[in-house]
Amino acid sequence: MIEITGLTKTYGGKRALDRLDLTLGTGVTGLLGPNGAGKTTLLRCLATTLAPDAGSVTAFGLDPASPAQRTALRRRLGYLPQDPGFYPHFTAFDLVDYVAILKELTDRGQRHAEVRRVLAEVELTGQARTKVRRLSGGMRQRLALAQALLGEPELLILDEPTVGLDPEQRMAFRALVSRLGESRTVVLSTHQTEDVAALCERVVVLRAGRVAFDGTPGRLAGIADGQVWLSDEAPATSRRFWRTADGRYRTLGERPPGAEPVPPGVEDGYLLLLGEGGAEGVAA
Amino acid sequence: MTDWHVRDDLRERYLAGTLPAAAAMSVEAHLERCAACRAAVPYEPEWLEASWRRLESRLAGPRPSLAERVLRHGGMPEHLARLVAVTPTLSRAWLVAVVAALAVAVLVARQGPELLPVFLIVAPVLPLSGIALAYGPRVDPAHELMAATPLAGPRLLLTRAVAVLAVATALAALAAPLLPAPPGLSAAWLLPSLAAAAGCLALSNRLPVPIAALAVGGSWLAIVGAGGLAGSWPVVFGLPAQLGYAATALLLTLHVLRIRKASTA
Repeated sequence: MIEITGLTKTYGGKRALDRLDLTLGTGVTGLLGPNGAGKTTLLRCLATTLAPDAGSVTAFGLDPASPAQRTALRRRLGYLPQDPGFYPHFTAFDLVDYVAILKELTDRGQRHAEVRRVLAEVELTGQARTKVRRLSGGMRQRLALAQALLGEPELLILDEPTVGLDPEQRMAFRALVSRLGESRTVVLSTHQTEDVAALCERVVVLRAGRVAFDGTPGRLAGIADGQVWLSDEAPATSRRFWRTADGRYRTLGERPPGAEPVPPGVEDGYLLLLGEGGAEGVAA
Repeated sequence: MTDWHVRDDLRERYLAGTLPAAAAMSVEAHLERCAACRAAVPYEPEWLEASWRRLESRLAGPRPSLAERVLRHGGMPEHLARLVAVTPTLSRAWLVAVVAALAVAVLVARQGPELLPVFLIVAPVLPLSGIALAYGPRVDPAHELMAATPLAGPRLLLTRAVAVLAVATALAALAAPLLPAPPGLSAAWLLPSLAAAAGCLALSNRLPVPIAALAVGGSWLAIVGAGGLAGSWPVVFGLPAQLGYAATALLLTLHVLRIRKASTA
C-alpha cells in the first residue's frame, strides 16, 4: 500500500505538486495529465529519486525520508524513468547486469539468470550482445523496462513506458504489465489514453499538481456521456472537433446541427475534463 | 544414420572417465547424434541446470573491460570491479588530465626549492576533481536509471570515490620521487589529499558532489594561500599541520562511514 499525503514540490516558484493526496494499492494505475501537470515529479518522488518540499510518501510502511528506509524501499521497487540514460558502449546484457549489481544481486550465476529472464520478458534475448548504441528507440525503451523488472519488484513505476514502441510491442507491453498488475502495484504515466483504457483498473488525472480525477477508465469516459457527436459537416461553433479517418467530424460538447451521438471513450472524457478549467476535481 | 549404439560397458567406462581419449571422443560424437544413447547417460538435473547456467554466463555474459579485468586480477570481487570500472571519472580524458597536471607541477617544482609547494598544493586537488565527476546526474549518463536502486547514493559514491582517490594517489606517488626534495617533504601532499577527499564525501551528504568538491578545494587553496602569503610553508606542510590533516582525515572518514552505515541499517 502506498500513501501519499500533502505532497508538495516547487521548481523555481512553480508548484509541480500541490498538496497532493493519493493512496495506491495492488493493480495498474494510470496517470494522465497535460505536460507540466506533475506526473513525472510524482513518479520521481515515489521512486525516491526526488525529495518533496513538503508532505510524505510511504510505501509498504517505509518512509524514504529516512536513509535506511529509503534503501529498504528501493529494494522493493522498479523504476523506468522518462529519460533513461544509457552507457552506449555497453551491450544490452551489460547494462541490465550493471543495474542488477546496483540492486544488490551479487552472485554472478543468479544475477545472470535474472538478467536473461528480464531480457526474455521484453523479447530482447536476441539482442543481448548488441551494443546499446545500435539498438532502435523501441528496443532501448524495452531495455529500460527490463531493468525495472529485475528482482520482481512489488512496486513498479513506469514513466511513459510505451514511448517508441510499435503497435505489436505495445500489445506485448500491455499483456506484460496487466499480468504484473495482478499481484503488484504498478503506476504508469502516459499520454496514451488507449493504454489507460486497455490496461488500467484505475486512472488518476493530474492538473497543475493536483488530482483532477480519480476513478475507473469507464467513469472517466462517462464524463463525456451525451457530449460526443459525429457529423458530416464541420461544426461552425465548436472548436473541439477533428476529422476522422472516414471523413466525418467528431465533436465534443454541444451537439452540432445534424450530428448523431456516439459512445464516448477515455480520451473524450479526459479532453472534456481538462477543458473544464473551473472544475476543481472529480472523484469517482 | 547407423545402427551402432554405445555398449553398456563402454558407457560405464566413459562415465568413469577411464576410456582412452580417442574412444571417449568417439562416444561423445555419437551421443551428440543419438538421442537413445543420450537418454541412457544418467545425470543429475540440478547439476545439469547449474552447468548450463555457468555455460550461458560464459557465453552470453558481459565481456569485462580492460580496467575490470585488471581489478579482478587484483582480487577484487567481480561485481565490485564492474561498479568501479564504470566510474565516469576513470576515463582516459580524466587520467590524461591528471597526468598532465602532475607533470606540469613536477616541472615547475624542479625550477627551484621555493617552487616545491606548487606540487604539494596541486596533488590534493586532483582527487577532488575526480570525485566531483564520479557521481551525479550531470556526469553519469545512466544516473536516472540507477538512482532508484539500493546502492545509489552514499554507497555508490563512496565506492567510486575510493577508486578515484586510489588512482590519483598512485599517480601522485609515482610523480613525487621526481621532486627535488627529501622523501618526507615529497609526501607532504598525501595527508591533505586524504583529508580533502574525506571532507568532500562528508559534505556531499548535504550538497551536490561538485559543489562539495568546490567548497573543499576552495578551502584548501585558502589555507595554502594564507600560508604562502605569510611566507610560512612549514606551517602548512610541517609536522604539526600533518598531524592535523591526519586527525581531520580520520574523523571525517569515520563520519562518512557512519553516513554509509545509516543508509543501509
